[in-house]
Amino acid sequence: MTSQERNAEKSEGGAIDKSLAFWEIISVITSCLIGEWVVFSVGRGSSVAFGVLVFIVFAFMFTSHRLRGESARDLGLRLDNFVAAARLLILPMLLASAVLILIGYSKGSLGFFRWRGGQSILGIPALGIFWGLLQQYALQAFINRRAQLIWGRGALSILFVAVMFAVLHLPNPGLTLATFGGGLLWAAVYQRAPNLLALALSHGIMTWILVSTIPAPLLGGLRVGFKYFG
Amino acid sequence: MNQTRLFRLLIAKSIIETFFVGTLAVVFFYTAFPPQFHGWGEATPDSIAGWAVNHSAPWDRVELQLFVDGKFVASGTANLSRPDVVAAGWSKDEWHGYAFSAPPLSVGDHEARVYAIHESGGGIRQTLQLVGNPIRFSFHANGKLSELTSANDSSNPKSN
Repeated sequence: MTSQERNAEKSEGGAIDKSLAFWEIISVITSCLIGEWVVFSVGRGSSVAFGVLVFIVFAFMFTSHRLRGESARDLGLRLDNFVAAARLLILPMLLASAVLILIGYSKGSLGFFRWRGGQSILGIPALGIFWGLLQQYALQAFINRRAQLIWGRGALSILFVAVMFAVLHLPNPGLTLATFGGGLLWAAVYQRAPNLLALALSHGIMTWILVSTIPAPLLGGLRVGFKYFG
Repeated sequence: MNQTRLFRLLIAKSIIETFFVGTLAVVFFYTAFPPQFHGWGEATPDSIAGWAVNHSAPWDRVELQLFVDGKFVASGTANLSRPDVVAAGWSKDEWHGYAFSAPPLSVGDHEARVYAIHESGGGIRQTLQLVGNPIRFSFHANGKLSELTSANDSSNPKSN
């Protein structure tokens, strides 16, 4: 085999890999949309149906990581770059929080203890961070990493991740807009310092600030998919 | 990286999810529109009348809604005596008949449809299922009805 043939084969393998990465993303997004639009409509939000779907999608993502030889450290489950990621996050978070607080103040909708009335204040960040970790894992450790395989690091893959994150929050307009902004920030930070714990913490905090500042009707009860309609 | 295995994984996931969505759709349809309602109706001179039975709950009285020309007209319960329905083996007791009084209509031809109301999802969802066939009838100036076509329905106890 000549070097030209080897190069052609390598190029073909790269194209196939990009194609596979693209279909992996589509597959995970499809699963999420099935959960939001099908399970919550015809499945009436059945916990069994939802559990089956969650199992399918997580089994798929874990198997994909194994087949691609990705370790937990590669994915961002690590502590060594936590501070670096936190440093990248802190300024945009402070700016976004200031804007949100100003909006909340002007609308008279500030209320940092109103999230899920009756729930322990200690439970709020815990729930938010856990839910944030799950979302950031799927969004960054899977979708962002696959997007980088296709388009490389940079604006295009970051924009793609943010758009996907926003699409998953349709048809809730407030949340779609907020997640697009959040998606841009978290995808950019992950590409520079892949740390899921810092992103989960940021996700939980920003969710709490969002629901504590923006008037509740604008957030549609944080409902997405079919559930948004009631 | 094993591209072939990843490719197979994608195919397998797609197939599993297709079955998953298909199962959800079938379960939903069976729950919301269970094939357990039977009945029959006709236009009598003074009413739209017939019978309706829920075979999964044969002792229950079926709630009904009458639509004429696609518009809701009245609701009621199939709880009138219809011994012929028992005799034909369609129900366990005779109290499954219904009769909706002739609604005020324009003179001419119309179509009535009688639907059984089915509750599912713990009462959060109600669906309508057509009982028997659509009933085509004429409304006359004297306020009387006459059926345009005789129902060719095997579930008509009169024909058994």
